[in-house]
Amino acid sequence: MICLENVVKTYRTRRGDVKALNDINLRIEKGEFVVIRGPSGSGKTTLLMTIAAMLHPTSGIVSVEQNNLYGMSIQARAKFRAENIGFVFQMFHLVPYLNVVENVLLAGGTVTNKNKNAKALELIEQFGLAGRSYHKPAELSAGEKQRTAIARAVFNRPKIILADEPTGNLDADNAASVLGYLSEFHKAGGTVILATHGVEAERFADRTINLRNGSVANLDKP
Amino acid sequence: MVILGLIFKEIRHRKINFMLGSLAVTMAVALFISFFTAAKASNRETARLMLSMGFNLHIISKDTDMNEFLLTGLPDQTMPEQYLQKLAHQSEISYNHLLATLQKKINWRGLDVILTGLAPEVCPPGRKKPPMSYQIERGNLYVGYRVAKTLGLKETEVVQVEGKTLKVAKCLSESGGVDDIRIQCHLRDAQDILNLPGRISEIRAVDCLCFAPTDDPVSILRKEIGPLLPEAQVFHTKAIASARAKTRQMVRNLFAVIVPFVVIACGVWIGILAVMNVRDRQPEIGIMRALGYGSGRITLLFLGKAVIIGLLGATIGYVVGTALALNFGPDIFKITAKTMIKPESSLLACSLVLAPLFAALASFVPAMIAVTYDPAVTLREE
Repeated sequence: MICLENVVKTYRTRRGDVKALNDINLRIEKGEFVVIRGPSGSGKTTLLMTIAAMLHPTSGIVSVEQNNLYGMSIQARAKFRAENIGFVFQMFHLVPYLNVVENVLLAGGTVTNKNKNAKALELIEQFGLAGRSYHKPAELSAGEKQRTAIARAVFNRPKIILADEPTGNLDADNAASVLGYLSEFHKAGGTVILATHGVEAERFADRTINLRNGSVANLDKP
Repeated sequence: MVILGLIFKEIRHRKINFMLGSLAVTMAVALFISFFTAAKASNRETARLMLSMGFNLHIISKDTDMNEFLLTGLPDQTMPEQYLQKLAHQSEISYNHLLATLQKKINWRGLDVILTGLAPEVCPPGRKKPPMSYQIERGNLYVGYRVAKTLGLKETEVVQVEGKTLKVAKCLSESGGVDDIRIQCHLRDAQDILNLPGRISEIRAVDCLCFAPTDDPVSILRKEIGPLLPEAQVFHTKAIASARAKTRQMVRNLFAVIVPFVVIACGVWIGILAVMNVRDRQPEIGIMRALGYGSGRITLLFLGKAVIIGLLGATIGYVVGTALALNFGPDIFKITAKTMIKPESSLLACSLVLAPLFAALASFVPAMIAVTYDPAVTLREE
């Protein structure tokens, strides 16, 4: 279970403080598929990053399965992230000098072995990238990049996948394909939290959270 | 992914960045090596040039008529030759060169000349230094310019000096001084000619200093040398000693300021490049942090690359710097270059340690700062 209690995140800028999250209280159950919807600047990415243990809130508590994420040391939080959370970015964030296999293997840490290699190749095939295994990101289409990013996100068999506008740079076919993979992960028992400003993901969601100016506007059941 | 594998893949991917980084380290190290080698050569050159200003300390018999000596430059009394060894082997006074001579004005072939016997020059134990005076083998004679010209002497000619047969080994070029009317031979030959076995008329010394700190080194030297050489007296030519000391000090001071400045400038240069490299790779830091990599492994990626660049730059820089010093050094340091400008292997070791260390230290700080940020902050800065 993911629990946010009175979470506030304020960015300090030269033009003054910007409150990206304003007293958020949320509970997301294990195995849920939740869509966080809202216009640009509503705080979707900030909320996702905060849940992913990648961004300290200004105040409040974020816990995952009763682990207070920001009460941990940096190293412990990194370990928790590696073992429990997979993240899919809108901009893919693949390492440019590694090929598809290596980018997927990057999630497996600095120790490689035959099992990990086999697992990476299996995932790549599963995501329809078998012919692209040894291509660098610059040689891939946007859809292929995003599928690589999802393969990397699920490599460690995380309990939670957080996806920030994963279809934002994709055409309709590729977007459907990506949502399909996330849906499969969810059906296998995983928790998915997906941030988007579109509506196409809502058909997979157990519920939708609408964000407006950093606050939860309403919780919709589809 | 193995860390070393990641480092080499990144290097292959950003070849130009790696080449520019290595080039910068190479240039910094080459500058340091060539400058340091030149500085050492300059010190040696200055020291050698200063030697040609002559000796600064004279030890002569205490019975010498000083008025006559100051008028003619020739001591009219002698002292035991063992004084040279006594002075050479004592431990209270430092020196760089000791030269014993036996000199007397004689009339040779109708010409007034100064017969000068030169003992092999003595240097401090364990320190070999280029001699300041001629090292003449027994049986040989070096003839001053005016004597050779007046008497029409040629090299290899065999001559008689007061009944002793000597070969003219060298006719010296014009000095414009008293050396033009000297005939110089080995001390033993001069002792035979003058029938003064085991005697010398003067010991000349360069950089002769007493270890006791004092404002008046000569008075201390006199106190130290007095009991050691009871038949001798000491005086020194202040102008020469002072000019030599000041010039050498000036050159040392100059390099004492410039060399550290060059080292610091090279270090800062390497540091700036390392910092820029870390800044360029912020997104990677963010990705790896997002994937759960700890700060240690990420820092190792940057330090590893910095060390590789440092080692490569240090090696190439040493070769380039040494080649520069060997090529251009002889044009600058004409006297000592041929024998004294040599590759300094200690500088290679120094560069192989310092360049990677500077690069690693410079990478360490920004990398550590970057890994302490939340991954979201690092990725957002992309």
